[in-house]
Amino acid sequence: MADVYKLIHPVKFCNDYLSRNIRPDGRSFKQPRSIKINVDSIKTAEASAVVKCGNTAVVCGIQLELSPPKAEEPNVGFLVTNVELPALCSSKLKPGPPSDQAQVVNNIVSDIVLNSKCVDLKDLCIVPDKLAWVLYCDIVCVDNDGSLVDGCIIALMASLKTLSLPKVSYDAETEEIKVDPKSRTKLEIHSFPIVTSFVVYRLNQSNIILADPTAYEEDICGGSGTNLIVCYNKGLFCGTQKFGGSNLSKDCQDDALKTAKERANIVENIIDVCIRNHKNSSINE
Amino acid sequence: MDVDESQLKDFKLKPMKCEFNVLSKSDGSAILSQGETVVIVSVNGPLDIKMQSQSIEKATLEVLCCSKGGKPCVADRYKENIIKQTCDAALLSNQYPRTGITITVQELEDCGGLLPCSLNCACLALINSGLAMRCVFAAVTCVVDEQGDIVLGPSKEQLDTARAVLNFVFDSRDKSLMTGFTEGSFSEDTYKEAMERCRVASDLVFAFYRDIVKQYSKIIA
Amino acid sequence: MPLDYKRFNGPEDSISYKRFTEDYIKSYDQLYQELIDENGVRKDGRAVDEARKMFAINDVVTQAKGSAYIELKQTKVVCSVFDPREIPHQNEFSQLGQIYCEVKFAPFSCPRKRRPHAPEAEERALSVALRKALEPTVCRHLFPNFQIDVFVYILEHDGACLAVAINAAGLALASAAVPIYDIITACTIAVIDGKMIMDPTEAEEHLAIMSPETQTNHGLITMSTLSQLRQITDFRQIGSLDVDCVTKAMDLLQKQCMKIVPNIQRVLVSNVIKYHKERKKLEEEAREREEALNKKMEEWKLLLNAG
Repeated sequence: MADVYKLIHPVKFCNDYLSRNIRPDGRSFKQPRSIKINVDSIKTAEASAVVKCGNTAVVCGIQLELSPPKAEEPNVGFLVTNVELPALCSSKLKPGPPSDQAQVVNNIVSDIVLNSKCVDLKDLCIVPDKLAWVLYCDIVCVDNDGSLVDGCIIALMASLKTLSLPKVSYDAETEEIKVDPKSRTKLEIHSFPIVTSFVVYRLNQSNIILADPTAYEEDICGGSGTNLIVCYNKGLFCGTQKFGGSNLSKDCQDDALKTAKERANIVENIIDVCIRNHKNSSINE
Repeated sequence: MDVDESQLKDFKLKPMKCEFNVLSKSDGSAILSQGETVVIVSVNGPLDIKMQSQSIEKATLEVLCCSKGGKPCVADRYKENIIKQTCDAALLSNQYPRTGITITVQELEDCGGLLPCSLNCACLALINSGLAMRCVFAAVTCVVDEQGDIVLGPSKEQLDTARAVLNFVFDSRDKSLMTGFTEGSFSEDTYKEAMERCRVASDLVFAFYRDIVKQYSKIIA
Repeated sequence: MPLDYKRFNGPEDSISYKRFTEDYIKSYDQLYQELIDENGVRKDGRAVDEARKMFAINDVVTQAKGSAYIELKQTKVVCSVFDPREIPHQNEFSQLGQIYCEVKFAPFSCPRKRRPHAPEAEERALSVALRKALEPTVCRHLFPNFQIDVFVYILEHDGACLAVAINAAGLALASAAVPIYDIITACTIAVIDGKMIMDPTEAEEHLAIMSPETQTNHGLITMSTLSQLRQITDFRQIGSLDVDCVTKAMDLLQKQCMKIVPNIQRVLVSNVIKYHKERKKLEEEAREREEALNKKMEEWKLLLNAG
């Protein structure tokens, strides 16, 4: 019955819930969905993580390659992030080259990673002007049920945290490269950006914000994807984006910033605990 | 948030110059220079479009961003998305159901702050096109420099050396935030202060819009 | 390669670091000894004719009409099926419905090299193979002029990925309630040096193809069957094999395919039971609510009559 009502009166259906201070899926306005993280499950990648935020499922895999650095910046390595939205993750996407929406998400994720400076690109240089690491971080969305950027960043950070680089020896005279995959050093992570997405919904002349929206809530609020993305990184904000949806009032903004701050601390802990559990279990094996 | 009153009054943005109707074939066009950065925008619509992309409720907005080099890239799609979402919120697009509106943005010279300039120019072109709008909007940029001070209307050097760049787009009716995008890291207080100062500064842009429209309405009369 | 304007690109001349490790160049014999010891026991401890354990669940992708996830140890595949839609860009009427299949590898899915984002020959070949295997399975006459989208994404490739893709697609089609004649199952066999190796890993597949000998049998066979109808929907073979070897392999494959069927059935049945229980619970709750409402109504009626 509810399904039919939702289809015929989408706006009224949503209003009925929200005016009673509850969301269609039973959450309160600022309550995010539960997060599940599984690290290092994909063995073909150097580091990987599978993250589920509610129904949204994201897989991140990192692969390592070697390349001479750019001539303009001889002591800097490469970090290439790509978000892939294959057609199987949502009924709105069609097969073919990346859609505009995929490219926008891709750009936002890459901006956040670069702005937060979580990886110092100088750490990726092996021999200046000769050899540097290329980190290919591919993030694949398997199920897109809203708040995609949140999931992407969590998956990426969990993978980066577990990444270790093999030892490379470079002979300056013969230019011979030797890699020993057994002796590895951990990549240093300098910061920890965590993203919280919101949508801004106009309800009875006032605006309300919903944290960690589902795909249905994103649709109902207009615009493509989430309206407000707040990235919190250890005491500082690195990148807030607001577009589409209703205008953002001051109170809503304060609320959003506060929620994002609180959530960042929780998510950071979750990732740390997951990585620690994984390490412990792999030692026991 | 208490902001020093004297700071609020003492600022200037980059000098702006604008011309309407630069393109004879489009429904609305504007060329805008903010400092050294120059952008030209053409608006066409409401147009007939393909059945698949028609919406029965509102006009379908399409934004095309062309950089000077001509090669498309991922960042262009991001710019298009920002301009599209902002214009979509400003336009009364439900007045033109089953039609399409196309906004084409061409970069002529980029000396920093290309996207805010494109947004302002798009707004001017929309005004010129005569499409029904809910409100007009103004984009304002500020940077947080090395010392942690907020500078409005930054120059190219200031943008390059800045710790963070914050851009805000405000609505003309109640000056609420329509769109915002940032680069770099900043604290919560800086963010709020920057936003308040940009909010005040948006008045200058709106005043500029009014002058331009006044100037052109005389020509028509 | 042309530059991809719709993604971020790395430097043009980057090479995987594995190219510089000691393991990279190993001869056929070395690899062979590593994978199968003299007693016929494989590297992962399986016997030659033993398949890997399968893990399968359905309805993993909430946004799709039906979906499935299948894991054969390290081979991990997701498949989702969407509602039938009108065939785009087609003016002619087609009597039979069409199946659009797309198989994609994740960029990080292969152990040897990074997969490019743009579709390549292998992906296209797999997509065609999957479509050919599914076409005889689906009751296509029931939806003329429509197409069903079947998307398969391979998260990790460790051998037998076409077989797993077919199994996953079959399960996803069934859970999407698309009418099918029978449950489709598939498996792969590798022939190395005359030995039949059931359900090969990626390393074994690689070995089967790279064999330097031309006298002995070597190659790969993937076969999909409809178990109840005892029909073969697709048969794919690479390498050089003689007729006896092929018929022997087919017998083995047929048996293995039959073994998979009960597993798939179990997944589907448990799903039906789960939904049935959920529905019962919902109906129960609805009834309770209704009763509570009716009670209220009675009270109000009494009040009205009284006052």
